[in-house]
Amino acid sequence: MARRRKKLEAGSWKLEAGTQQQPPPAAQAAPPPAPQGPPRNWPPVADRTLIGKSIKRLDGPDKAQGKAKYTYDIIRPGMLYGRLLGSPHAHARIKGIDLSAAEKLAGVKAVLALKDPAGEGANGKAFYQGDEIAAVAATTEEIAEDAVRLIKVEYEPLQALATAAQAMSADAPAVFPKGNVSQQSLQQEGDVEAALKSAAHIVEGTYSTQVQTHTSLETHGGICEWEGEKLTAWVSTQAVHGARDGIAGSLKIPQTNVRVITDYMGGGFGSKLGFDYQVVVCARLAKLANAPVKLMLNRKEEHLVTGNRPSAYAKVRAGVDAKGKLVAFDAETWGTGGAGAGAAFRVPYPIYVFPSRRQRHRDAYTNAGPQRAFRAPGHPQASFITEVVLDELADKLRLDPLELRMRNVLSATDPSQEDPSRQWRKYFPMGAEKIGWSKRHPTGDPASGPIKRGMGCAGNTWGGAGSRATRANCQILPDGSVLARIGTQDIGTGTRTLVAIVAAETMGLPLTGVKAEIGDTNYPFAPGSGGSVTVASVSATMRIACENARDELFAKVAPALGVEPSALAAKDGRIQVKDAPSKGMTWREACKLLGVQPISADGAFGPGLSSTGTSGVQFADVEVDIETGVTRVKRIVCVQDCGTIMDKLTAESQVYGGIIMGLGFALYENRILDRNTARMVNPNMEWYLLPGMSDIPEIDITLVDQPDRGPVGLGEPPVISTAAAVANAVANAIGVRVRKLPLSPDAILQALNEERTGGTL
Amino acid sequence: MAPKKKDEPGFSRRSFLKTVGAGGVAAGVLGPASTAEGQNVKAIGPAASPIQLNVNGKFHRLEVEPRVTLLDALRTRLNITGPKRVCDRGSCGACTVILDGRTVYSCSMLAIEAQGKVIRTAEGLTEGTVLHSVQRAFCDHDGLMCGFCTPGFVTAAVALLEKNPKPTRQEARKALDGNICRCGTYPRVLEAALNPKSAAGVKRG
Ligand code: FES
Ligand code: FES
Repeated sequence: MARRRKKLEAGSWKLEAGTQQQPPPAAQAAPPPAPQGPPRNWPPVADRTLIGKSIKRLDGPDKAQGKAKYTYDIIRPGMLYGRLLGSPHAHARIKGIDLSAAEKLAGVKAVLALKDPAGEGANGKAFYQGDEIAAVAATTEEIAEDAVRLIKVEYEPLQALATAAQAMSADAPAVFPKGNVSQQSLQQEGDVEAALKSAAHIVEGTYSTQVQTHTSLETHGGICEWEGEKLTAWVSTQAVHGARDGIAGSLKIPQTNVRVITDYMGGGFGSKLGFDYQVVVCARLAKLANAPVKLMLNRKEEHLVTGNRPSAYAKVRAGVDAKGKLVAFDAETWGTGGAGAGAAFRVPYPIYVFPSRRQRHRDAYTNAGPQRAFRAPGHPQASFITEVVLDELADKLRLDPLELRMRNVLSATDPSQEDPSRQWRKYFPMGAEKIGWSKRHPTGDPASGPIKRGMGCAGNTWGGAGSRATRANCQILPDGSVLARIGTQDIGTGTRTLVAIVAAETMGLPLTGVKAEIGDTNYPFAPGSGGSVTVASVSATMRIACENARDELFAKVAPALGVEPSALAAKDGRIQVKDAPSKGMTWREACKLLGVQPISADGAFGPGLSSTGTSGVQFADVEVDIETGVTRVKRIVCVQDCGTIMDKLTAESQVYGGIIMGLGFALYENRILDRNTARMVNPNMEWYLLPGMSDIPEIDITLVDQPDRGPVGLGEPPVISTAAAVANAVANAIGVRVRKLPLSPDAILQALNEERTGGTL
Repeated sequence: MAPKKKDEPGFSRRSFLKTVGAGGVAAGVLGPASTAEGQNVKAIGPAASPIQLNVNGKFHRLEVEPRVTLLDALRTRLNITGPKRVCDRGSCGACTVILDGRTVYSCSMLAIEAQGKVIRTAEGLTEGTVLHSVQRAFCDHDGLMCGFCTPGFVTAAVALLEKNPKPTRQEARKALDGNICRCGTYPRVLEAALNPKSAAGVKRG
């Protein structure tokens, strides 16, 4: 590459020390040290009344009745509607912005230019389609739309980079100030070249995955309402505290002047983890108009500017010895995360042991909306590349690909110890049994007719540890009610229900005896819901806050019962003596002893109540029509752990959701940019295809409960291996390898056409 | 408009056009016919004109410009926000309402065209504080996660069961193919729709 800079120092790659990739942003922030306290435990398994059971979502009825008010649904008195004007060009210089006609339109209350034609760099340019140019607020949405149309912008369209290949080509125009391609990063371990020479079989190929957009059903945006210098913002966010800090920072006002509320939110999948520029624009409009403003993006804007999963490309050489031991994996990788954004992923996927490995990676910048964290960033891409290579190596060896995995999958560092976060050796055979792997034909379905059937598998790993920065508050009121407050948010995972489960379990009360309050920066700090950190952070911290509150209550009650506080237990709606349960009083009677003063106890995240590291496997059984190229997934089998299961019902839903999103990645979803203009061809929901009801196969989930570990996050793991398993199943069905995603009919027909004889297998 | 029959074996919802409101896109396509029919009709707009909508058993008077969709009228004028705006162009089903017994995408119908029709949304299915049997089944089966698609799915399921109280799995899938869920609740939405308890609480329409 013309732009390649000097090689970076080789980073050492400590695979054995931990299989996790970078922690999510929330976990990276230097956490305050958690105060020391008594050792904490969950109740013994036999005593758990709620934890691990199938508990229905507390907010289910409100959602099912259409009563739940999302940010998009809230109407404030006197509220105006905001709209953005985005650049129609993927790359343009802004030569003039004329707001006057828009300002004169009746009903328009505020108009803002967001670019400056005289400005330097990104200020005077649009670097991707949808890049915000101006914004308006008006009394109705229709007027706001009209006003946006009246804004006159003079653009000088510039040549745009639509693909990674264009960005990397030697004659590409210089679009980005720091170059179109990043410096090469190098990760290596061992001598790859020597190892490849020693290999009995080598697979070489180029593998790729597409750009996937989050497509949350509720778009990004918020409502901003000022009262003097104080701002209340209802934001569709995965991080109320992160949003507050981002808004305050952008507006240069104290964080104490901003309150962010997220009662209900309609999906984020990582795209709503960072704070949103749109909400800052909304706040500025509200200030200017002196009225509350709601600004929600439309579907097209959502596809264009709110992030995506970057593409991934890998030119791989991998080797295996004659005994079926993996020896080397060498990859030159690249990808595009859009305008100035990275496209990192790590190969080989770290659940298989390649003693020698090397990855040389570059990010290619293109004129498209920048990527954002997307459910298991980097993992589905790396999993697809690695697992497909593994199957190809197995084919060379004429070995069952499952057997190749069993010989090479990571196991406990100390073989005499069981490592609960590395259970693949156990799960692969479990999944194989369920899917009927013994009936798998070695390659290419020999049956006659155009419909070919095949099976494939893949594994996954994730961290999901709690954040030490988490805090919570629990109050016990004299009338017996319990308030559990924490500044987390429920992004559809069931966090509100989780908070109530932990509080009720700790107090020995039914779920209805406690009230969970979340989604507000007025409550104690909790991290953003990203990186699957929520369940571990929230459960552990809320448990501690509730135990602290309960222990205060014990101290009040103990004298009345003539025992030490430590002799008491909260169980079945009573406070009673552990060894003499008949001696005690009802919860309500106990709380009456508080007189007028409620208990309010805080909790800080502490060790011992949660864990980190998950393992899982997925198997796919597919049918491919080799005449039409259409793939139909018949069945997915999944074996997955997540430490202690807190709520079986919502945990299973999480797994269904991950697999279905993985199916979208495998078969349908693809952000398509016009290769000449870099404008998105399918910024909608009829051409950007998500799985629908009839696309859903039979899904067989085995959630492995590890009741003694404490909870570990589950949001990310199930999305990782689906595409890889499906891709391997497709190859097994049709006898031809498709090395790129999505496995669309045209990709399959093309591969069949190129390799009618089944060349690679 | 009756829902179009979907192709067998129906690889996906995309082979299927859900009933789109008689207005919106469809009206554009049917241009000449509507003009002929409309010759005796007083022209309205572009300014706001008064209309009346019958939603969930209540009559609402409001003033909207003719360009305002039924969805936006419900959401921003009447504060009935069960129907959600997600794609705003007839491809996701989040805005589904029941109009004279049939599901329509309220984003693809104009509010002025919904006059004189009986409109029901997820909010109107609840009787007092008692959940509709289908809503209850969604909760029992966890057929909802973030919940943004849920009112649309619930209405689509109710409309199905009112017509066909004992749908086969295949029939239920087809009836729900016009709704998109990003969280991936489909397996459990289907279980909820097929739970006999769901149909037990449905009034035949
Ligand atoms: S919002 Fe009406 S179909 Fe999507
Ligand atoms: S539950 Fe979130 S989109 Fe369906």
